[in-house]
Amino acid sequence: MKSPRSALAGVALVAVVLLSGCASNVNTYERAESQAAPNYISDKRVITDNTLAGTFRVVAINEAKVSGNLLKIQATVENLKNNARHLNYKFEWVDADGMSIDSPNETWKGLALQGRESITISTVSINPRAVDFRLKFRE
Amino acid sequence: MKYSSTKLLGAAALSASLLFTGCTTTEETRTVDARGPDAINTSAINSQDWANAADQLTASLLSSSALERAPRVPAIMAVDRVINNTQLMVDTDLLIKKIRVALTQTGKIAITNTLGLGERAVVASEAAEMEEMQSGKKQKTILPDYTLYAKLIQQTDRSGKMTQNTYAFQMSLVEVKTGLTVWEEERQIAKQTKRPGVGW
Repeated sequence: MKSPRSALAGVALVAVVLLSGCASNVNTYERAESQAAPNYISDKRVITDNTLAGTFRVVAINEAKVSGNLLKIQATVENLKNNARHLNYKFEWVDADGMSIDSPNETWKGLALQGRESITISTVSINPRAVDFRLKFRE
Repeated sequence: MKYSSTKLLGAAALSASLLFTGCTTTEETRTVDARGPDAINTSAINSQDWANAADQLTASLLSSSALERAPRVPAIMAVDRVINNTQLMVDTDLLIKKIRVALTQTGKIAITNTLGLGERAVVASEAAEMEEMQSGKKQKTILPDYTLYAKLIQQTDRSGKMTQNTYAFQMSLVEVKTGLTVWEEERQIAKQTKRPGVGW
């Protein structure tokens, strides 16, 4: 009589063990009240791949000037899924006239995020004329 | 009966020729973004890896504010030794040239081509010597404020069928006046390759 119940418990145990084995989520701890004062910028988003947008989220984008007059952009990206995912991203720069600035090093770069992990990606414009940027994502 | 078998043979031949035509493959070449995810990925350093490493090293140098303390703008930089300690026979200019282009475009660095171990401007040197001879005045060589030193290292680890090649890109900026390293960085790219189960 106890046999089906113990079988069920066994199946449940195996399922828990299997699911735990698959999970690779990241737990994060940080100061409750941040001392940093990032210069966040409002962004405009053009979504053409809803699956990608449902997998990764851009939490925030902030900017700074480095080496005197070079624009640095940092974006915080979060993996919304419970398993490790891979993402490609690319920054592009635009000058005050709206012209695209080509850079030899701004390329598609790969990024591996663990489950529910948030990480920052950043780049520095090598051209002082850069005033705007575009950040592109693809799987 | 004879007509029917001839027809059958003809149909079979036609089918066979169609099938074989379908199997024929022709060489196909397409242009891809050499620095993009479509570039062929191997266990070696591919074009995307070079660009990625160059970008990370340049961004680190520019974010470090080391160049803000330069004695002049643009500061003069000479390329020192670039040591390739990997098993790959590669031209290290695949990395150094990208960094040179990026630093020159910032307007904060000018790279001397008549000093250092990087690429040499032979014609410029000869032209300077010619100018000295013709004018009788000794040309003043501008000495560099900084030198750039780089090293590529490869570490290979194996576990079962998996091989991991970790490439370390190390770079240092040395201030000539003091001999001090004012900026240093190391970036790594790790590539795992799984050996197929059955080999011939």
